[in-house]
Amino acid sequence: MSTLLITITQVSILLAFIMVMVLILTYLERKVLARIQMRMGPMRTGPYGILQSLADMMKLLAKEDIRPHGSDRMLFYLAPLFVFVPSFLIWITIPFTRNIVVENLELGLFYIVAVSTVSIVGMVLAGWASGGKYSILGSARSAAQLISYELPLVFVIAGVGILAQSFNLITIVNQQSSIPAIVYQPLGFTIFFVAGLAEVGRIPFDIPHAESEVVGGPFVEYSGIRWSIFFLAEYANTLAIATLSVLLFLGGWSGPLTEHFEWLQPIWLILKVSAILFLIFWIRATLPRFRIDQLMQFAWKILLPLSFVYIMVNATVPFVETVITSNAASNQLTGIAQIILGACQILILFLVAFAISKRRKKYLTHLHQGVPA
Amino acid sequence: MISIFRGLITTLKTTFRRPVTVQYPSTHLPLTPRYMGFPVLTWDFKIQEPYCTGCLVCARVCPTDVITVSMKDNPKAANEESHRRKIVNDFKLDISNCILCGLCVEFCNFDAIIMSDFHEEGSLTRVEQDLPLVTLLDMGKEMQDKGKFTPPPPKKRPPAKAKKDEPATDADPEKQES
Amino acid sequence: MDNIPSTEPVEFMLNVGPQHPATHGVLRLLIDVDGERISQVETHIGYLHRGTEKLCEGETFSQIISLFDRLDYVANFNMEMSYVMAVEKILGLDVPIRAEYIRVVTCELNRIASHLLFYGTLGLDIGAMTPVMYAFREREALQAYFESVSGARMMHNFFRVGGVKEDLPEGFLESLQSYLPKLKQAVQECDQLLTLNDIFLERTKGVGILEKVDAVDFAVSGPNLRASGVEHDIRRTEPYSIYPNLKFSIPTGTNGDSWDRYWVRMQEIQESIFIIEQCIDQIEPGPISGRTRTVIRPPKGEAYVRTESPRGDFGVYLVTEENKEQPYRIKMRSPSFCSLMALETMLQGEYLADAVTILGTLDFIMGEVDR
Repeated sequence: MSTLLITITQVSILLAFIMVMVLILTYLERKVLARIQMRMGPMRTGPYGILQSLADMMKLLAKEDIRPHGSDRMLFYLAPLFVFVPSFLIWITIPFTRNIVVENLELGLFYIVAVSTVSIVGMVLAGWASGGKYSILGSARSAAQLISYELPLVFVIAGVGILAQSFNLITIVNQQSSIPAIVYQPLGFTIFFVAGLAEVGRIPFDIPHAESEVVGGPFVEYSGIRWSIFFLAEYANTLAIATLSVLLFLGGWSGPLTEHFEWLQPIWLILKVSAILFLIFWIRATLPRFRIDQLMQFAWKILLPLSFVYIMVNATVPFVETVITSNAASNQLTGIAQIILGACQILILFLVAFAISKRRKKYLTHLHQGVPA
Repeated sequence: MISIFRGLITTLKTTFRRPVTVQYPSTHLPLTPRYMGFPVLTWDFKIQEPYCTGCLVCARVCPTDVITVSMKDNPKAANEESHRRKIVNDFKLDISNCILCGLCVEFCNFDAIIMSDFHEEGSLTRVEQDLPLVTLLDMGKEMQDKGKFTPPPPKKRPPAKAKKDEPATDADPEKQES
Repeated sequence: MDNIPSTEPVEFMLNVGPQHPATHGVLRLLIDVDGERISQVETHIGYLHRGTEKLCEGETFSQIISLFDRLDYVANFNMEMSYVMAVEKILGLDVPIRAEYIRVVTCELNRIASHLLFYGTLGLDIGAMTPVMYAFREREALQAYFESVSGARMMHNFFRVGGVKEDLPEGFLESLQSYLPKLKQAVQECDQLLTLNDIFLERTKGVGILEKVDAVDFAVSGPNLRASGVEHDIRRTEPYSIYPNLKFSIPTGTNGDSWDRYWVRMQEIQESIFIIEQCIDQIEPGPISGRTRTVIRPPKGEAYVRTESPRGDFGVYLVTEENKEQPYRIKMRSPSFCSLMALETMLQGEYLADAVTILGTLDFIMGEVDR
C-alpha cells in the first residue's frame, strides 16, 4: 500500500514538473524566436511577459470544447490521451541526477523506445477521428514520418547500448563522467539529434502539421483543452529528446566540480539541456521545411544507412580493442580506442557532408551567371 | 550544407541586435508631419467661428460620401463681425467609412478642413462613429494648438467656385496645386 | 468513408481556401489529391470582388485614384501611376520632369516593398519563420518613407493627373540616400538566409516549371514571365515616364521554376535600388504639378496605358465621354489574373506541398485579380 502511495506521489510530482517545464519551454521558445527575429516576444502579461504561457493555458482551458460533426466521438476524445500518455511515460525512467529518478529501469532506453512509438497511434487516430480531409492528410504524413525516423533513432540507441554495454541511463551517464560521449560519437549525436527533431515534428521536419499546407495536420479540428494536450505532448517530447541527447552524448549531469558538490549536478543538466533546446529553436528560426518525399528520402537514403554504419563502427572498434588487448573484463573503452572511434565517425560525417555538398554543386551549375556565390 | 550554416550564422547575428519592436499602446511611432488621420474642422480664433461655410464641396468630392453638411446665414456677418456671409450649420463625419484619402482637404476653398493626427478613434457603437460638428471643431482646435495648421492669408472675398458650364480646356487652370 | 473500395487508389477533393494560409488572400482552389500528388485543380476567384470597374464609372476622375490604390494593395503607387498616365494620355498633358522623378522614386520604392513582402510570405509558405520578420522590418522602414511623402502608409492617393500631390518633404532624398545602403545590406542578409539554402533549393528548384511557350500563351507577365526566360519589361519595351533616362538591367531566369521566380524578384530589388540611386542623382528642383485642374473634364477619347507593376504588365483602358466628370468605362488588365490562369497547368502532378510554393512564387494579389 505504501509503495503504491509513494509511486503515485512520485508520478504526480513528475506530471506537475513536466507541466511546469512545458510552460517555461513555450515561454522560452517564444522569447528566443523573438530575439532571433529582432522582436521582443510576449511583453504584456507580467514583467517581460513571463506569465504569458500561464495566460495561454487559462485561455485554452476556458475555451469551448468542440467536436466537429461527422467525427468519431470516442476516438476523437481518446486520441489526445494516446499522444500524451506515452510522451509522459518516457519521463519515468529519465534520471535528473545520479539519485533522482522515478524508476531506474535496467532496460531504460529500450523502454523509452518502446513507449514513445505508441504516440504514432494517437496521431493517426486524431487525424482519422476528426473526419476532416486536412487532418487525414496530416495524420498520414505523421504516421509515415514518425515510423521512418523511429528506425535511425532506435539504431543509434542500440549503438549507444553496444558501446556502453548497458541500456541503463544512469550507467551510460556514469561512463561519460570523464569525457562526454559526443567526443567519440559525433556521428551518433548527429543522427540522434536529427532523427529526434523529426520525431517530435519540429522545423525542418514539421511536415505533419505544416501550417501553410495542411493547417495544423491531425490537430486541425481540435480546440481548447484537447488541443492543449497535444501541445503539451509535443513540448514534453521536445524536452525529452533534448534531455536524452544530453544524457546519451553530452555527459548528462557530469561536469566540473560535480564530484565535490552534489547540488551542481542538476544545474549542469539544465545548462546542457538549455543549450540543446536553444539549438532546436535556432534551427527552427532558420530553416524552411522539407517536402514529404524529400523527408522520406532523407530518412531512408541518408539517415538509415548512416545509422547502420554507425552501429557497425561502434561494434567493431570495441571488438578489435578486446581482441588486441585481450581485456574482456572492462566494458569501458580505452583512450586510444575512443580516439579511433571518434576519428572514424568524424570521417564518415565529413564524407556525407561532402556528398550532400556535391549535390548542391549540381544545383549551382543550373544557376545563372550572376548568382552571388 | 555550408549554406545552412551560413543561414544559422545570419540568424545568430541578428539575435544580438536590438529588437525593432515598438510596444504599441504604450509607445507610438512618431507621426510624420504629413500624416493623414481623420479630417477635422478648423476654428477661426480671430472671429471665433469655424472656417467652414458649409459650401458642400467636401461632401461632393468625398469618394465614400461620409460627409454631411448644411449651411446657414452667418449671424456675425449681419453686424460686420465676420466676412463669412454663410456659415456651417451642421457637419457630420462618419469616420467608420472614411478612407483618409485627403480629397476633402485638397478641394476645400476655405482651408476649413485639415487632416489631423487622430487615428485611434475606435468605438463600440456605430453612432459614436458619426462625429458631430462640435467634436470635429474640438479636434481641430487641438490640432491647431499643436501647430499643424497655418491660417490662410486674410481674403476680402472667398474665391469663386468652379464654373460649371464652361467646357474643359487645359489652358485655364482653376486651381493650381502647390 | 465506408463506401470506398479499398483496392482502388483513394482520391479525394481538397478544398484549399478561401481561408487558407497559403492562398494569400481569398483564392479558392479545389484540388483533387491522389495521396500527396495533385491530379486536378480548379481555381475559383471572386471572393474579393468589389466592382471597382463599375464603381469607377460613378466617380470623378480625382476620386478614382483612391480606388486604384485598393487594387494591388501592396503596390499602391504603381497602380496610381497607371491610372494617372491613362488620364494624362487622353488630356494630352505633359508632366513636369520633377513630378516624373518623384513618381518613379516612389514606384520603385513600392516595388521593393512589394518584393520584400513576396520574400517574407514565400518564406512562411515553405516553413521558414524568420524571412517574414526580416522582410517586414525593411518594409516598415519603406512605409515610413511613404508616410513622410504621402501621409499614408498604404493607401496613398498621392499621384494627381498632371503631377503629384505634394513635393517631396525636406530632407527626404538625403535620408533615402543614407538608407539605401542599409536596405542593400538587409537584402543581402535575406539572401544569405534563404537563396542558396539547401532545403530551399530542394523545395523550389524544378518545382512548378512554367515553360516559355506556356508563359507567353497564358499572357503571364512581369517577374513570372522573366523567370521563364523572356526578357520582357514594359519599362524597357514600351518605356514610359523617365525610364528611358535610367539604366537598369532586366534579370531573367532560365528554367521558369519557382527558384527562378524567386531569384528574379530578389534581383529586381537590387535593380530598383539602382534606379532610385540614379533618380536621386538626376532629380532637380522644379514644379511638381503641370497645368492641372481640380475638376477634370477630358475630351472624348480612349487610351490604353501599360505600366510595369511589381506583378507585371498592368494595363488601364480608359474611355471618356465629352464634357463629363466621370469616365465612360475603365478596364484594368491585371497581371496577377493572368498568372493565376497558368496555375492549373503548373500544379498538375505536383506535390501538395509544392502547390504552396508555386502559389507563393506566383506572387498574386487577390485585390488585383478580383478588382
